[in-house]
Amino acid sequence: MNPNAVIISGGSRGLGLVLVKHVLARGCAVATFARSATPDMAALAKEFPDRFLFEPFDSANTAAMDTFVGKVFAKWGGIYGLVNNAAIGQDHLLANMPVEVIGQLLDVNLKAPILLTRAVVRRMLLGGGGRIVNITSICGQRGYAALTVYSATKGGMDAFTRSLARELGGRGIWVNSIAPGFFPSAMSSSLAARQLDTIRRRTPTERLCKEEDLLPVLDTLLFAESNITGMTYVVDGGSSI
Amino acid sequence: MKRSDILQLLQEILKRQGKPSDVAETAELSAIGFRSLDFSELALRVETASGRPLTFDAAPLRAIRTVADVLDFLQTASGQP
Ligand SMILES: NC(=O)c1ccc[n+]([C@@H]2O[C@H](COP(=O)([O-])OP(=O)(O)OC[C@H]3O[C@@H](n4cnc5c(N)ncnc54)[C@H](OP(=O)(O)O)[C@@H]3O)[C@@H](O)[C@H]2O)c1
Repeated sequence: MNPNAVIISGGSRGLGLVLVKHVLARGCAVATFARSATPDMAALAKEFPDRFLFEPFDSANTAAMDTFVGKVFAKWGGIYGLVNNAAIGQDHLLANMPVEVIGQLLDVNLKAPILLTRAVVRRMLLGGGGRIVNITSICGQRGYAALTVYSATKGGMDAFTRSLARELGGRGIWVNSIAPGFFPSAMSSSLAARQLDTIRRRTPTERLCKEEDLLPVLDTLLFAESNITGMTYVVDGGSSI
Repeated sequence: MKRSDILQLLQEILKRQGKPSDVAETAELSAIGFRSLDFSELALRVETASGRPLTFDAAPLRAIRTVADVLDFLQTASGQP
């Protein structure tokens, strides 16, 4: 097994891009995908020709996702880590929400990461262990109007984390979630400045999260010999306490 | 749906909650106690009355301040002039 290959979904921008750069800086090989390429993907491919792979596809395309995992496995001889980061947001009251949007949220935020995890776990079981980190959200634990279905997908992923950790712990595969509070990104851009201010005011550390706040937790869950599995780590400046 | 019909539905929602319902179009929603869930209910009533599906993002709702804004939004969203 190559202990250095890590798949990070949705690494083209936002938090995913920060995670990709960080894991590359730790000397790992990183494979990522998103629906569209960004200039950062081309720049990273140039900088790390042997350790970086980006492919554009929609995670709703399960065949493409399976092929991608197979390609990563063949390229680097194994898969050490998976970070399920890709997701879409919501900004609808349930009663007035298009049914198709509900389907998209369930497909992209719940079904796709479960199928990606399945594809990766099948390789990890043959390779002798690994680490899985699911990026969920504080919405999986606390209530937020206009984020109902998104919250259900994130709570669902936290539940998936716990049961999968039980299932795989005996084979050296550790599974955990990181549940961030709100941080500025394309996803949270629908939140009005007023709402972000309210969240900031109610946060004990008096500031919103930034992507980099997650990195120490990611390092522990992805790289440390910690004996931690099945947990959800909230990183939100204490706003949910 | 006519603007006056939507206004009547809005007034009925206020009345059912025991809130003053004789509201002018210039009234501020915060002042008359018309909240986002009331908007959601009103949209469902407009949808039922017009027979046309009516779905929308929550983001534009945050810019709505007055009764006139509500009527404008629902008239446009339900495809009425
Ligand atoms: N922003 C926040 O406040 C916040 C708070 C808590 C948790 N989170 C979580 O943190 C993670 C990252 O969020 P973010 O704010 O960085 O989001 P973002 O800026 O919108 O980035 C999302 C990433 O996922 C990709 N993606 C989305 N849909 C996809 C699909 N169907 N197939 C393949 N790739 C797809 C996007 O690329 P394409 O659009 O090109 O596909 C992009 O690379 C998510 O899991 C989110 O739920 C965010």
